[in-house]
Order: sequence, then C-alpha cells, then structure tokens
Amino acid sequence: MVMHVTDSNFQNEVLNSDVPVLVDFWATWCGPCKMLAPVIEEVAQRMEGEVKVVKLDVDENPVTASQYGIMSIPTLVLFKDGKPVGKLVGFRPADQIESAIRGALNL
Amino acid sequence: MYDIAIIGKGPAGISAAINAYARNKKVIIFGQDSKKILWAPSIPNYAGLPDITGTEFMERLNDHLNKTDAVVVNKNVLAVYSMGTHFSIQAETEMYEAKKVILATGVDFKKTIENEDKFLGSGVSYCATCDAPLYKGKTVAVIGYNHESIEEANFLATVCSKVYFVPQIKEDLSKLNEKVEVVNGKPLKFEGAFSAEKLVLDNTEIKADGFFVLKDSYPLTSLVPGLEVDGPHVKVDKNMETNIKGLYAAGDVAGKPYQIAKAVGEGQIAALNACENL
Repeated sequence: MVMHVTDSNFQNEVLNSDVPVLVDFWATWCGPCKMLAPVIEEVAQRMEGEVKVVKLDVDENPVTASQYGIMSIPTLVLFKDGKPVGKLVGFRPADQIESAIRGALNL
Repeated sequence: MYDIAIIGKGPAGISAAINAYARNKKVIIFGQDSKKILWAPSIPNYAGLPDITGTEFMERLNDHLNKTDAVVVNKNVLAVYSMGTHFSIQAETEMYEAKKVILATGVDFKKTIENEDKFLGSGVSYCATCDAPLYKGKTVAVIGYNHESIEEANFLATVCSKVYFVPQIKEDLSKLNEKVEVVNGKPLKFEGAFSAEKLVLDNTEIKADGFFVLKDSYPLTSLVPGLEVDGPHVKVDKNMETNIKGLYAAGDVAGKPYQIAKAVGEGQIAALNACENL
C-alpha cells in the first residue's frame, strides 16, 4: 500500500527520507488521479527498495501543495535529499513513470 | 473497455463509428458537431448529395450515427495515453479505456501562444473543470477561443477571487458574470520563472496565478505524447495507422486535401483496419 502523507509529516516522511521519494499530488474530485492510483501502486512495487512512493491530498494539505507550486493534478514530484529533482504532470503509464524516475536518479 | 474510441465527431469520425459498428464493435465517440461543416453554406462536390448545405449534411451525419449504438460523449478530450495493451483517454475530468483509438480531430492552424507548451501544467491549463479547485481564492485569466469558454469563465468566477477574460472570438459577452473582467487584446506570450506568472498581450499585460487556454482542439503532441507529426498533420501509413500501434488518424488531421469525401473514406479505412485483431 502506498502511504498517505500530510502537511505535518511531509518533512519527516519525504524531505528527511534516506531514499528518494515519489509524491503523488492528487484530490478526490480528480478523475485522472483515480486512474493513476493503481499505476502508482505498481510503480511502488516495481521500485521497492529503490524509491519510496507516497500520496498527498492537495485539498487536505494545501500548504505543501502550494509550496511546490502544484497547479494541475495529478502531478508527480520526485524528491531526493529533501529537494525536488523531477516533475511529471498528468496521467502516465507505469513504464513512463519508472523510466522518468530512473532517468532523474541515474539508476 | 470499449473496442474503439473515436476522437472527433466530423465526417471522418462519424464514418469510422458507422463502419466499426457495422463490424459489431463497441464504439465511443467524443466531440461536438464539426463547426467547419456547420459553417459551410453549400457542399457542391460530395457525390450523390448535390447542393446540400453544411447544416443539413451535419444533421444527416448525426442521424446516421444515432442509428448505431455508439456512445456519444460531448466532451473535450485532453489526452490519449498508450498503455501498451490499450489506451486511456482523458475527457475533461473523466477517464475512459479503449483497445484502439482513431483520431479524427480536424486540423487546427491556430498558433499556440509562446511558452504555452512550456508552462502547461505549471500555471497554464487546458481544463477549467479539472484544475479550478487548485485556484480557489486566486486570480486567473481565461483566454477564450470558443463559445464554451464564456461558461467556463463564469464557473471560475464562483471559485476564484478574480477572473480576467481575454476573448479571441466574436461572441456576445453579456452572459459573463459581473465579477469577470474582459481584457481585449492579442495574447503573445507567457512569462515566468518556474511557472506562468504573466500573459503579455499586444497592448497590455495580465498578471495571474493561473491561465486557462480554452479552445476546441489542442496541440497534437500534448494530446498524444509520443505521436509523430508533420506540421499540423499526424503521420500515417496506408492503413491510416500512426507510429503508435493501435492508434489511427483520419480526415483533415491526417493531411490534405481537406475534403469531406476524403475524410469519410479515411474514417472507413481507419475503422476497418482497427477492427482487425479485435
């Protein structure tokens, strides 16, 4: 299961993480976000141990969403050592997400 | 899961739907009536229908489509993603799945605004319904290229603190919400550091948190990531298949001549080829 993060634990779970973290910024009213949910689960399974995958509801956690300039959802942001290193906007198949992550992390 | 999804409801799209239905396929077709057809005062060269008007022709096409059990969805398709075994189609806020897709969007020569593609998803949006909640209490601008953009601007006015409307159409704007401020001018480019912050027009500038570019069709490369194009056209082979397996194109979007008979023929070729191996 992909973990849900919030404004209050974002620092601990994402920014202070030892492994890179992929954050799925989503909302309950967003159709493409619902389609992306199983895809994100698949990416999490495929990349277990290499990348941590979490979800953040932009309605419940506006501070973090606004801090990272989320202006369209779904948006995926990859964090490494507390900094955003890559961003994908819109629904994508698992292969594309995985290859974007591998590209950004030189894996 | 549909067998075939058709993007566009002009002669090519409707011809594809009729032919796919004849082969017993489960069909979904997206779009509104072709404006190019509706505006044609007369169609002098369509074999068998001399002097039919555009409006009459569109009516006939719709009557024929209604005789099939194709599902008609009056929504703008924002993106088509190849998932390997099938396609995911985003129509505004809804997602649909189909085994094969036929693009029959028509051709659009309108130039995009400079940096529109660069800032897409970063302050530039093609869908008010999708992204409006992210701009709650903020300032946005709508660059409206179609009639629907007036309604979308009114919708945004219920969510955002300030809405600018930059009309690129000759429409009656009296139905605009009084909170919406009309700015007349020609949009030239978006500017900003990491996201679009400003729209430069030929006579003024608009600063906003978000910009909604609302039109009937979107750049092919943003509609289908990875699609091979040649200028405003999609590259196709003799089966009307594109470089993406299972994705076909027909009608004006597949190239010249921009003629109804050619569009109808290509819609048929695309549909019959798409029906194979389904």
